[in-house]
Amino acid sequence: MGERVFVGLSGGVDSALAAALLVERGYDVTAVYMRNWSRDLPGFKCAWADDLADAERVAVTLGIDLEVWDCEREYKETVVDYLVDAYAHGLTPNPDVMCNQTVKFGTFAERAFARGADYVATGHYARVRHGSNGHPAQLLRSCDPHKDQTYFLWRVPANVLDRTLFPIGDYPSKAQVRQACAERGLGVERKPDSDGICFVGEVGIRTFLLDTLERRPGDVVEWETGRVLGHHDGAFLFTVGQRRGLDLGGGPARYVVRTDVGENVVYVTADRSCPALWTGSLVLDDCRWVAGEAPGACEPVVRMRHTGALVPALLEPARDGRSATVRFSQPVRTVAPGQSVVAYDGEVCLGGGIVSPRSYESVRPPFEAAAQG
Amino acid sequence: MPGAPTPGDGEEASREVYLDYAAATPMDPGAVRAMEPFLSHEFYNPSAPYAPARRAHAALEDARASLARVMGARPASITLTAGATEANNLAFACVDGEVVTDAAEHESVLAVAQSRGGRIVGVGPDGLVDPDEVARAVTPQTELVSVEAANGEVGAIQPVRRVAAVVAEERGRRLRAGESRPILLHVDASQAAGYVSVAVSSLGADLVTLSAAKVYGPKQVGLLWSSDRVRLRPLVLGGGQEGGVRSGTENVAGAVAFAHALELAERMRPQEVRRLAALRVDLEGRVRREFPWCVVSGPRQGRLRLPGLLHVSFPRLDARRLVILLERRGVYVGTGSACAASRMRSSHVLAAMGVPDVVAQGSLRITLGRQTGAEDVAYASRQITACVRGEMARLSLTDDDMRQAAGGDA
Repeated sequence: MGERVFVGLSGGVDSALAAALLVERGYDVTAVYMRNWSRDLPGFKCAWADDLADAERVAVTLGIDLEVWDCEREYKETVVDYLVDAYAHGLTPNPDVMCNQTVKFGTFAERAFARGADYVATGHYARVRHGSNGHPAQLLRSCDPHKDQTYFLWRVPANVLDRTLFPIGDYPSKAQVRQACAERGLGVERKPDSDGICFVGEVGIRTFLLDTLERRPGDVVEWETGRVLGHHDGAFLFTVGQRRGLDLGGGPARYVVRTDVGENVVYVTADRSCPALWTGSLVLDDCRWVAGEAPGACEPVVRMRHTGALVPALLEPARDGRSATVRFSQPVRTVAPGQSVVAYDGEVCLGGGIVSPRSYESVRPPFEAAAQG
Repeated sequence: MPGAPTPGDGEEASREVYLDYAAATPMDPGAVRAMEPFLSHEFYNPSAPYAPARRAHAALEDARASLARVMGARPASITLTAGATEANNLAFACVDGEVVTDAAEHESVLAVAQSRGGRIVGVGPDGLVDPDEVARAVTPQTELVSVEAANGEVGAIQPVRRVAAVVAEERGRRLRAGESRPILLHVDASQAAGYVSVAVSSLGADLVTLSAAKVYGPKQVGLLWSSDRVRLRPLVLGGGQEGGVRSGTENVAGAVAFAHALELAERMRPQEVRRLAALRVDLEGRVRREFPWCVVSGPRQGRLRLPGLLHVSFPRLDARRLVILLERRGVYVGTGSACAASRMRSSHVLAAMGVPDVVAQGSLRITLGRQTGAEDVAYASRQITACVRGEMARLSLTDDDMRQAAGGDA
């Protein structure tokens, strides 16, 4: 009997292949379907049942156990509430980052280890180099540069990574993952890629937020002139760089430059090269470093969105490691406060932080200066 | 520890055996033929005035008359709906006051009753409603009692006439006391049709739901019969079809096929009941001989349960896995009511019967039907045996373990 692995099986393509590979490599595999969110109200058909049925099919094909673990409470408290709270404060959070930290590599890993697992595994596109000789485990980008998911894994600590397997991390492409699923008769190879926030599902984030937070009408203001161009249902609904959903009744395309949830104002510009849409540095809060300790000042490459470009930068963690400053030699597009910035030394993920609103504090609308002076 | 994954267990399905007739029935070929003209050249809107449309109208009314004949009712008392769920909703819509139903009802009744804050009485360990319980739940404010004619999950044929007596007694009491509040009995006979008489006089109800989809007719076609003392209130407003109770251009093809299917089911009823009951006894015997510890739910007495339904539980096993394993051997069975199955929760019916989770999770609902023959039953029982044995081996469970989990011996 091989080492014991608990693998998260979602009903999707990636985790199906991950489970199959573990079985083939001789591990003693238990599959777990994490039930994170269900609006199990009378009169509503819940979508997750179909995913569970697919997961069950994979487990039966592989001849492994599938357990359903209820992670709904953790998910609600650490992902859903976090998301709502962050939006309410004018941030644009990455719920997947939190889900990985607190649910998949939190609750799930803890329960698996308590049940005697040697490892936990998921279908993430990432690689791990387990620790040795006193060196902590390392998180590496996946072989497929288009699917790499380390952007969502930067808050997973080394001690958990040390007991984590990412079986599909060295597959060169999603197409090959699908192909491998098909060859094994897992029956999920034609499922579409899942995208977006699972619990928000088809209703979309705007509907979800308006369902949860109070609608708060306010003005859409032109960044340069202070002119009121239209109205919105709440500044918390908007994110920097957003172009759609402004409903300004025609005119040129306009981009959100800034949201101010305190004053409930959304600032927009029609000028794509507006200086406020670019920044030379970012302040990061709530940093986590995979190795546990912050690196010294260094020159990694950083990523500011999932599968976004890897940009050279100067990273200066604060002494306590909890915050950091990132400086760029060339200005980059502004990143919405609340988003993750993840740093890499070559392929190795160092960790990252969450863009602080302080990053943009000093940049005020031009019309204010004009009014004052 | 299995080696390389093999799809299924290498066993090729040599036969396809469908044993989930309570979920869906294949349409009777005669019903298909009967509806075809109304999908093509007889497509007319029955409300239109010209001759071809009048033919469509006549066909619709003929279908209604046939349906009424089977139920021993007047054609005008039948409202055609898009299925039994709508008919059940329509039944509840005709009262404002308190409603009483039981915990083993179909979700379309339970969901409406719950949304109305209804009183829900429990059922016995065999799934049967106790009319005395219903009597205790009825108050002077109760306006509707709803009990199904037969339960689609464990097959209990409910004592509808005795519930009708409870309702009649309360009605008498109100009359004597000078209370004007009406009280009605609704019977969802969707699962019972074809196995139990659906003559309204024998049911003693004021409202009766039927579904075409369960009697080898089309899906999304059903009806609600209502007695003279009922005034239905529409849920769907529009052109005022179906006497203003159910707007929308009539589904002539569906109604024609429904009438054909129901008439046939009623004609075949005596011999089908006997034939299916014998097959079911055979199937139960085969499964029980192999697994003496298995738990068969539902009433013991044959006359109190649907003839073609076998509800059997294999404690500690997972029904969802068994369904997939059986599918790979060409055998299609259910795990209980489709709604509960899709939610992956233990069924509300089994919960109401007090079946422990460890037993409920390994429950198969096997329903035989018109196409099921003796060889199908023999084949299915062999595959069930193989799958259950396979799962027991995988989980290292012995017959003794299973007996203990079933609570079979002390």
